[in-house]
Amino acid sequence: MKYIATIDGKEYTIEVLDERHIRLDGQLLEVDFTQVSGQPVYSLIINGQSFEAYVHRDEDEWEVLMSGHQYRARIEDEREKRLRLAGGGAATQTGPYHLKAPMPGLVVAIPVQEGQEVKKGEVLLILESMKMQNELKSPRDGVVQRIRVQPGENVEQRQTLLSVE
Amino acid sequence: MFNKVLIANRGEIAVRILRACRELGLETVAVYSEADRNALHVRYADEAYLLGPAPSRESYLRGDKIIEAALKSGAGAIHPGYGFLAERADFAQAVLDAGLVFIGPKPSAIAAMGDKAIARATVRAAGVPVVPGTEDVGNLSDEELLERAKSIGFPLLIKATAGGGGKGMREVRSLEEMPALLTAARREAKASFGDDNVYLEKLIVGARHIEIQILADTFGNVIHLGERECSLQRRHQKLLEESPSPFVDDDLRQRMGAVAVQAARAVDYVNAGTIEFLVDKDKNFYFLEMNTRLQVEHPVTELVTGIDIVKEQIRIARGRQLSYSQEDVRFKGHAIECRINAEDPFNNFMPSTGRITHMNIPSGPGIRVDTGVYAGFEITPYYDPMIAKLLVWGETRAQAILRMRRALEEYRLIGVRTNIPFHQTMMDSHRFMGGQYDTRFVEERFRMEEVERTAPLRPDVAAIIATLVADRETRLAAQIIRPAKRDTSNWKWVSRWERLHR
Repeated sequence: MKYIATIDGKEYTIEVLDERHIRLDGQLLEVDFTQVSGQPVYSLIINGQSFEAYVHRDEDEWEVLMSGHQYRARIEDEREKRLRLAGGGAATQTGPYHLKAPMPGLVVAIPVQEGQEVKKGEVLLILESMKMQNELKSPRDGVVQRIRVQPGENVEQRQTLLSVE
Repeated sequence: MFNKVLIANRGEIAVRILRACRELGLETVAVYSEADRNALHVRYADEAYLLGPAPSRESYLRGDKIIEAALKSGAGAIHPGYGFLAERADFAQAVLDAGLVFIGPKPSAIAAMGDKAIARATVRAAGVPVVPGTEDVGNLSDEELLERAKSIGFPLLIKATAGGGGKGMREVRSLEEMPALLTAARREAKASFGDDNVYLEKLIVGARHIEIQILADTFGNVIHLGERECSLQRRHQKLLEESPSPFVDDDLRQRMGAVAVQAARAVDYVNAGTIEFLVDKDKNFYFLEMNTRLQVEHPVTELVTGIDIVKEQIRIARGRQLSYSQEDVRFKGHAIECRINAEDPFNNFMPSTGRITHMNIPSGPGIRVDTGVYAGFEITPYYDPMIAKLLVWGETRAQAILRMRRALEEYRLIGVRTNIPFHQTMMDSHRFMGGQYDTRFVEERFRMEEVERTAPLRPDVAAIIATLVADRETRLAAQIIRPAKRDTSNWKWVSRWERLHR
C-alpha cells in the first residue's frame, strides 16, 4: 500500500511493502516497528537508530509526539489524495462550528447571547476545571446560535455547548 | 509529644509528608474525598478516613471533619500541607482548641501575614520596601478601586484579598479595560475562596520572583535557607523553580536573607515559611508576601542544602530546637524543579483529565520525583492539575539542565496530556540556559515552536511512524469486516456449522 504523509507542507511518499520493509521516497528501508505494551506508544528501529513516539489520532490528522516535539501528519493513500484535491478545498469555513467542552467542568459564565455576532478570538464561554477558569474562544467570525447550556451547569467532555454559524 | 500525625491534604504533598513521618517513626493518618479512594496517600498511610464528596469544600476544606478524624484516630498533630486549609488561621486555632498540635505557625502569625495590610505594615516598619498598591486600605468598591488605579498607574494587577496561586488575579493595562477585568477577578475569587474582595498592586516590569525559605523554632532561632528562583510562571502559576537563582550573588542573598529573617521575627514566626520578593533588574527587592506554610517548591532548597524541611517542621512542632544554625547552612550545587501538570502545552495549556494508562518515572543519579499518581489512576477535574514534581540536582547549573533534559526524555505518561514537552522546550531555550528571564518570559517571549532545538527535528521519522500506525489501523479494520479471515477455509467452516446444527 502506498501512502502520502504530509508534515508541515512537506510530502513523503511511503510504501509499506511487508512487516519489515518500507520504501520512503523510493528508498528501500528495513524497519522494526512495534507497539509498546498495548499503549499508544510506538517504537521504531530504522538503520539501527531507535525512536519512540506517542501517536494520537485527532480528527483527520495524526499527532506524533517525539522527543518533546509534536508533529502533525496527514496520511492519505493515493485515492484519498486525488479525491481531496478534486474537491478543491472549497469546502472550508462553511457549516456551523460546534463548541465542545475540551474537558469536564462547570460552566461559569456565557458572555454571549444567541444571535450575537462574534469575532474570531472572542470569548464564548468560561469553563471551570481543575480550579482554573478557562476561556473558550471562537475560532472564527460568526453569529452565536443555539446555546445548549447554562451557567452553573456541569458538562461532560466533548459535550456540545453552543454553535457559531 | 505526638507520635501520630494526620495529614490534611492529598496528592504529592500528602505523600511527601507521609514519607517524612515514616522516616521519623511516626504513625500516619490520611484523609480523603470520594474521588481519592484509590489515591497514593490513602494507600501509603497507616490509617485513612473519608471526609466527603469530591468537591474540596465538601472534603479537604471541611476543617471540622478533619479535626474529628484526628481525634478519632488518636493523632496528636495535624500537618496541613499547602493549599486547602494551610493558611487559614481559624483552622489552625480550631486544631489547637481541640488539644492538637498544628504543624505550622501560630494562628496569630498566619492571620498577620494573611492580612496583607498588616503584613506590609510590619515589614515596612522593618525597613523593607513594598510594592505600591491598595492592600493596606482594606476592601474597596469598584468605583474606589478605579479611582485609586489612576494614582498607582498602569500596568497594574488586580489580586484576590483571600487569594494566592494566581486565582482571581488579572492584569490591567488601561482604565478602559479595568471594569470588565474587575468583574472577572471578583467572580474567580468568589469561586475559589468564597470571598470576592480584591485589591490593586503596581506591576513591576521586568521583575523576577525570588523567595527566601526560612525556618524558626520556639526558642527564637530563625534561619534562612537561601533563595528559590520562581520567575518562570504562566498566568501567575509557577512552572519551574531553581536554586540558587542565576541572578542572585552572595551579597544579595545575604541581604535578602537578613530581611526575610527580620520579617519572620516581626510576626513572632514559628515553623517553616517563605518570604516572596519581587526583584527588579537593578537588584532592588520588594516584599511581596509571606507564605505561612510549606511551599510546593520546597524540595529545590532541600537538594541544595541537604536539609529535610518537612522533618524540621515536625521537629519544631515537637518543641525542639532547630537542627541547624545559620552557619551550618551550606549550599552545594544546583537544583531545578519542573512541575508536571496535566495540561496540553500544544493547546493553550488546557487542563487534561482521564486515566493514566501508562507511566514510567525517570530515575538514576541526581533525580527526585514527588508524585501522588500512578498508572491506572484517574485524574479528575476537581483538584489542581499538578500531578508530579520532577527535580534534579547537579554540580553546576549547566549539569542540572543537562540532567533535567535526560530526565524529561525518560518520563513517560500516557492517558492524559502533560506539559512535559513545554519543559523540554524550555531546557533547550537559550534564554533559559543564559538565566535571562523574568516573570513575563513564558507568556510574552517564549513560543514552543520558536525555540531552536538541541535534538534535531525528524519529520521523516514522524511520517514513517504515523504511516505505519495508519496502515495498521486500516488493515485491522479490514480484518474485522472480512469473513474470509477465519483460520479455516469457508467451505470447511460452513460444513462444520451445518453438522452442528443438524
